[in-house]
Amino acid sequence: MKFSIALAIAALATSLPALADRLDDIQKAGVLRVAAFDSNPPFGFLDGKTRQISGLDVDVAQAIAKKIGVKLELVPTNPANRIPLLVAGKADLVAANFTVTDERRKQVDFSLPYFASGQQFIARKGILKTPEQLAGLRVGVDKGTTQEIHLREKYPQTTLVAYDDTPLAFTALRNGNVQAISQDGSKLVALLAQAPDKQKYELAPFTLTREYQAIGVPKGETRLVSLVNDTLKELEKSGSAKTIYERWFGPDTKQPLPRDFKIGDQS
Amino acid sequence: MAGCAMNTQLIADNIDYLLIGNWANGQPGGLALTLFLAVAAGSIASLLGLAGGIALTMGQPGLRRTLEAVIAVLRAIPVMMLIFWCYFLLPILLGIDVPGIATVIAALALISAAYLSQSVYAGIAAIGHGQWAAGQALGLGRWQTLRWVILPQALRVMLPSFINQWITLIKDTSLAYVVGVAELTFVATQVNNREQIYPLEIFGMIGLAYFIVCSTLAWLGSRLARRWQPV
Amino acid sequence: MPSPPAWLGHSWLAPQYLGWLGQGLLLTAWLALLVCVLGTLLGIVLTALADSQHKAPRYVAQLFLTAHRNTPLMVQLLLWYFGMPSLLPESALMWLNAPHALALPFGLQLPWPSFEFLAALLALSCYGASFIAGELAAGLNAVPRGQREAAKALGLTALQAFRWVILPQALVIVRRPLLGQYTGIIKNTSLTMAIGVAELSYRSRQVESQTLLTFQAFAVATVLYLALILLWQLAGRSREPAWRGAR
Repeated sequence: MKFSIALAIAALATSLPALADRLDDIQKAGVLRVAAFDSNPPFGFLDGKTRQISGLDVDVAQAIAKKIGVKLELVPTNPANRIPLLVAGKADLVAANFTVTDERRKQVDFSLPYFASGQQFIARKGILKTPEQLAGLRVGVDKGTTQEIHLREKYPQTTLVAYDDTPLAFTALRNGNVQAISQDGSKLVALLAQAPDKQKYELAPFTLTREYQAIGVPKGETRLVSLVNDTLKELEKSGSAKTIYERWFGPDTKQPLPRDFKIGDQS
Repeated sequence: MAGCAMNTQLIADNIDYLLIGNWANGQPGGLALTLFLAVAAGSIASLLGLAGGIALTMGQPGLRRTLEAVIAVLRAIPVMMLIFWCYFLLPILLGIDVPGIATVIAALALISAAYLSQSVYAGIAAIGHGQWAAGQALGLGRWQTLRWVILPQALRVMLPSFINQWITLIKDTSLAYVVGVAELTFVATQVNNREQIYPLEIFGMIGLAYFIVCSTLAWLGSRLARRWQPV
Repeated sequence: MPSPPAWLGHSWLAPQYLGWLGQGLLLTAWLALLVCVLGTLLGIVLTALADSQHKAPRYVAQLFLTAHRNTPLMVQLLLWYFGMPSLLPESALMWLNAPHALALPFGLQLPWPSFEFLAALLALSCYGASFIAGELAAGLNAVPRGQREAAKALGLTALQAFRWVILPQALVIVRRPLLGQYTGIIKNTSLTMAIGVAELSYRSRQVESQTLLTFQAFAVATVLYLALILLWQLAGRSREPAWRGAR
């Protein structure tokens, strides 16, 4: 039954006229629509004062729109709909803390990575010092993240509980539902700093992976990919990439982190 | 104590955003958008439901069977999935772009209409055969009897199911988050993720908001039902 | 098999992922079944309380019904899962969150369900019960007063009259609406993914984040829900004449 429905839909879809080049469409419309997170500080979140989505991803998206010479329109997204938005043509690009994996490369094209992070843990004090101790622990993760995938594949002894977002996962940790939570190190620093009972928890002293975040582009849009890559390289060359990074991770921010990755370090 | 002060601050900073979203910049949201979605979908659903219930009563067997099948399928899909498919498949299948708010209204109206059709059908069936016979004895046709004799009585019987369905509808608007429509639950999630450490406070607060809206509707409904008591 | 159109992704779902979705379906069905049973029992208790001669139980029932019917299920789930732990002592919490198994004869072990599952079961049952109670009350009210009097005249006690005269008739009246409530319960289980229950919707999100085949993952999940619920409704309906006949 599943296949007959899928095939029926497929037949309908292939009968549609082929799409023109996406970059031409963007230029014609005068608007670049970028899917960005609205609930993932500091990459994409709702600014308390301006009530607009802002963050590191948004700054990068802004630079791309400027390069094309069109207006930027942000489409709020979450992990459950960022690919459908792209595929259904409701967004042209995804700039949503999008981690590159080989499996995912089969479905979308990625630009050069513009951010790198590692998978880290916040745990109750004293229980998580080495990755081996993960076995037997209950660990909270966010749904739709590569942290969940990595732990499931490499640490089958760990019990994973996936929550809808980081605040819920952290509440589960503070309630004792899980003994540790896992996220990008870049997010955990700020999270722990804000907690009223932070003396009970600590950042585990190891990093599991090195992950790269890039812009997601519909498959086969080669002109769009190279334009995005050119923009990113120029950002690095002009020093704007560093300025953007410092705005969100500089010494005066909630999550001070030294910059250890430059655009172009990884392809 | 510090926590208490923090919570007051939390509410003060966000209450306008939770109530009306970013209306100042032309993007209404929050509770206001929730109410708009509910009223729009509720009105369409009521009309469709009435039509569906009448069709189930008066229609040809073929029409009735088709309707029953459509209703059964609509009732068997989780609402969130229905919204998701309406939003993403319509543009692909029809080749037109439908805005998020319109798809949410359409999906919620469809599913509520499916439930209401059955209530209307049951409500009409609950009116005894004698009433139909009485209408015909007065020289009224089948449709005239329905309009002037059966429906006025049946609507009274159905009122509670309509109220219940509207309440369900209000609560279901919270599933619009899956397509990024900025209703109350969606904006609460945004605030929740910015503040990071107060999820219970924030969800408790919006739970209270839904409670006030829904129980007001329930109360109005029961008052109306009392005034409308069948004689 | 031909490769799917671009918008559906560049490959089909691998069998491994269909397996995940199958596991999700099993958990959905199991959770829904338990909720239907527990919710019905709780609904009967609530109906009895609401029908009481005394004021206090009636108020308790009314409060329970209003609170559960007029707030979104999602909020209730979050409060059960995240709110309840702050009321429990730390030791009870540790116990609830640790894995346990009930030893059965013949060396079998029945694993104690996770805290996520328990919280979901409680939340869904309370929510479901508040609607089931409404249907039961309506069914009881629909049994004509005269039936009670007739039973009394036959010398039956109030309890006997309820068990042998009122209840069988009420059950016939409420079985359609009850079936509808049970359908709702199956659908409502999908919300428990928010608190980490690995049911069908949760599994579809897992498949999605791993493969990015969002449409296919959600399509299979939708079809599985559809199949589960339609089968369930068909089963409920096919027994109808037998039940009617018993009247």
